[in-house]
Order: sequence, then C-alpha cells, then structure tokens
Amino acid sequence: MAELLEEHLISEHLDLPAPNNKEGGEDTPMGASYGKTMMWFFLLSDVFTFTGFLIAYGAIRVSHQWWPDPNLVFNGMPFLHGAKVPLGFVTIMTTILILSSVFVVRAVQEGHRMNKKGVAIWMSLGILGGIAFLACQAWEWTHLIHDGMTPFYNVYYAGENGETLKYVAEHGAAMPAVSPGPPLFGGTFFGITGFHGFHVFVGVILNIICLIQTLNGTYERRGHYEMVEKFGLYWHFVDLVWVFVFLLFYLF
Amino acid sequence: MAGHTTDEATYQKQVSTVWKSTYLMAGVTAIEVAIALVHFYFFHDTPKYYIVGFMIIATLIKAFYIVAEFMHLKYEKKALILALSVPLIFLVWALIALMVEGNYWYALLH
Repeated sequence: MAELLEEHLISEHLDLPAPNNKEGGEDTPMGASYGKTMMWFFLLSDVFTFTGFLIAYGAIRVSHQWWPDPNLVFNGMPFLHGAKVPLGFVTIMTTILILSSVFVVRAVQEGHRMNKKGVAIWMSLGILGGIAFLACQAWEWTHLIHDGMTPFYNVYYAGENGETLKYVAEHGAAMPAVSPGPPLFGGTFFGITGFHGFHVFVGVILNIICLIQTLNGTYERRGHYEMVEKFGLYWHFVDLVWVFVFLLFYLF
Repeated sequence: MAGHTTDEATYQKQVSTVWKSTYLMAGVTAIEVAIALVHFYFFHDTPKYYIVGFMIIATLIKAFYIVAEFMHLKYEKKALILALSVPLIFLVWALIALMVEGNYWYALLH
C-alpha cells in the first residue's frame, strides 16, 4: 500500500506540481490531469447515452419482420442525379470523418513537440473534415425529407416479396395518413444520426476554439498543448460513435 | 506528457503508428462495404445474418484502434483503462436483455 501511494506521488509525466498532501485533490491516481480525466469520464457517460439509443434501435429492429433495405434507401449520390450507388455516399462520409480524426491526432502529436504551426495546420484540416461531414449529412437528410420521410412517417414499405419499395404519391394526391412503412425507420434514423450530427457540430466549434487559441499563442504561453489533447479526445469519440452508426444503419 | 517535448525518434514512431492504423481502418471499411455490396448484388436471397457476424467483428476492430491509438488509451495508466472499460459490462447486459426482449416482441407480433 505504501508503495502504491509512493507511485502516485511521482508526477514526472505531468505538468502538475508534485502533490504535497492527500486533502487538496492534487493526487493523480489515474496518471492524467484533472481536465483530461474528466473529459474521459464525460465521454464514458456519452457512450452510455449513445448505446442506450442504439440498443433501443436494435430491439425495435429485431421485433420487426421487415425493415427497409439500407442498400436501396441510401443509394443517392450528389452530382450524379438519378444514379443508384448503394452505400457509396455513406462510405465517403465515413472516410472523411476517419481522416478528420487522423488529422487531429497529428495536431496532438505536433502539440507534444510545441510546434505551433504544425498544430494549426493539422487542426485546420480536421475542422475542414468536420464541416465536410456535416455538409454530407445535410445533403443526405434533405434527400430523405424530400422523399417524404419524417421522424414519424416512413415512405419505404415492403412489397409482396419483401422487396423495398418507395411510396410516391400520384400527382396532386396526398400521402396516406398511416405511414406506408415502419415509422421508426425514420424516427431512429433522424434521432440517432441527428444526435451524432449535433456532437459533430459541437466538436467543430470546439476545434475552431482550439485553433484560435493556438494561433493566439495561448498554449505556447501556457507551456503545453494539453488542451488540444482534450478537444482531440472529444473529436475521436465522435468518430468512434460514427463507426457504430455506420454498422447499424447502413450495413445491417 | 504535456510540459515535455517528445524526442525525434519517439515522434517518428508515433506518426508512423497513426498512419498504419489509418490504413488498417480504411482497409477494414473497404472490405465491409465490398462484402455488403457482394451480398446485395449476388446473394440477395440469402439472409443477411450470414455477414452480420463479420461486420460486428470488423466494427469492433475499428473501435479498438480509435480508442487505443487515436485516443491514446493504450498508453495510459492501467487505473484509467480499467475505470473506463469495466463499466461497459452493463452495456453488454443491456444489449443481451433488450435483444431477448425484441425477439419476444417479434413472437407477440407475428
């Protein structure tokens, strides 16, 4: 036990002053600074929120005999009007988000070398990736809303042999009052990708704040770029959630 | 690590590790999409659950690399790693319980 406490007192990897007592909260059993530890635990709580949504989606999905085929729903591609490219657009979105995450890792690494210019360049690329992802998502949502999808209404319904058909109203006719397909297809899609998209939006704002502070020399004066790591953790989490959204909404 | 600057050799190693993880994740995603498309175009009549197991494993591989390498958790203290990963047991329980319930709803409805 005494050895364990001794180990905790060694804070050579941290920029904190050596802890001098056990009452001031200056001990660091997690080996990370207060801010970084708290960011990790915030992300853990967010994992529970997202998993709650995704598990509910899974339970609803397995309780249905039929569900629209994502290959036939998400097959639009911007600038290729009318072309059917199953999974094409969403693969591009995934690549953009993973690359954006990599750019932010590079920014963190440049921060460890106190390279202000490197942090600024890689963080800018990360922000561009985030904005590109949000633009893609806006296009995808517009596309579905245009088809008549809402959180409570789904135009994709089962044909006689279980194939996925899109309900298109006759010219001038109103859509049926009862949703043609399972309404929660729209509800879970807009709800969960919307909640993820909101996280991306917040992440882009945080990364822009990080870039401004880097350019202002705030971190340089502080003597370390740990804030880039904290914002970076949040940004990678957004990527992590997307990997599961991609699996459950587009691949299954 | 803040407050210290990393030396050149460590830096080079970290950079190459990150790019290697990136190529691996891009490759895994490409295989996932390829399998989904092969199933869609050529094996449309076979049930999808044949490929579901592979998709789940591929996703977990990607998730591991994001958390371990990009979020740097692999290099943190064991106390932090355990504090963050042990609570996930509750999610495993919730997943199994809700899938069982979903199957029960299915039996009720059909």
